[in-house]
Amino acid sequence: MAEKQLNELKKGEKGKIVRITGNSSVFRRLLDLGVVKGSEIEMKGVAPLGDPIEIKIKGYNLSLRKSEAAGIIVEVQ
Amino acid sequence: MNKKQITVALVGNPNSGKTTLFNSLTGARQHVGNWPGVTVEKKEGICSSGGYEIKVVDLPGVYSLTAYSPDEVVARKFIIEEKPDVVVDIVDASNLERNLYLSVQLMELEAPMILALNMMDEAENRKYKIDIEKLSAGMGVAVVPMVASKNKGVPELLSEIVKIAEGKKSCSGVKIAYGREVEKQIEVIEKALSEDSLAGKYSPHWLAIKLLEGDEEIIRKFEGVSGVK
Repeated sequence: MAEKQLNELKKGEKGKIVRITGNSSVFRRLLDLGVVKGSEIEMKGVAPLGDPIEIKIKGYNLSLRKSEAAGIIVEVQ
Repeated sequence: MNKKQITVALVGNPNSGKTTLFNSLTGARQHVGNWPGVTVEKKEGICSSGGYEIKVVDLPGVYSLTAYSPDEVVARKFIIEEKPDVVVDIVDASNLERNLYLSVQLMELEAPMILALNMMDEAENRKYKIDIEKLSAGMGVAVVPMVASKNKGVPELLSEIVKIAEGKKSCSGVKIAYGREVEKQIEVIEKALSEDSLAGKYSPHWLAIKLLEGDEEIIRKFEGVSGVK
């Protein structure tokens, strides 16, 4: 299975989070929102200019900046 | 004779229905102000039930109780320092997993709490089946299913609030185990803190966890306390 940055997923692709990197306060907030290692994630769509992106995680939709998504490494299923 | 007063704080994720519940509890008898020092709205209202006058405080919507945003600081400060008689944690039933994270943090604060499982209609639309009894047993707190926008469950919630305020019902919640390594550290810090008077109004267990977590606000407060680095 290939590891990818979250922002590289195509619409409809699913994966599992293996690692999260990034600056501490954003990182903390992501943890609070359930973006944690092992969570299943689905790419729901990308805005016209490629930023932001929308993902589905733990049963709800979440929008992220491309830069934040780049710090989330997923294993594509 | 004045009626006995209960203070109730409403806490929950953004968009879980705190304000809807607040409005259905207090109607027009509310007052909007500011929390001192930060531009976070403070809303208080009064309602009565079971011979009590209940002061309801609508706290800002938060995802957790860390110290990263003013909202979170306000919410947790209120719970720790004002010690409301009952904390009502409003949980979006259609989004249980994310919402319960905050619930667990509230339990760690050892606040007397009730889980208000809001938006049950929305959860049903999504074909979710929630075992209320099991959830209540698992969390160790009372769980009240409700649809705040349709006033469903509001009387039940009020009667639970009164029961807890009268001390007729336990509401301590379960304790989270962090594994042996972390627990050992928590114990060491707890012990050091118990000898310090500053720790008085906080739960030492919660303080120890926050210090280990590197919570800036708490670290600032306890800098220089014996045994705490």
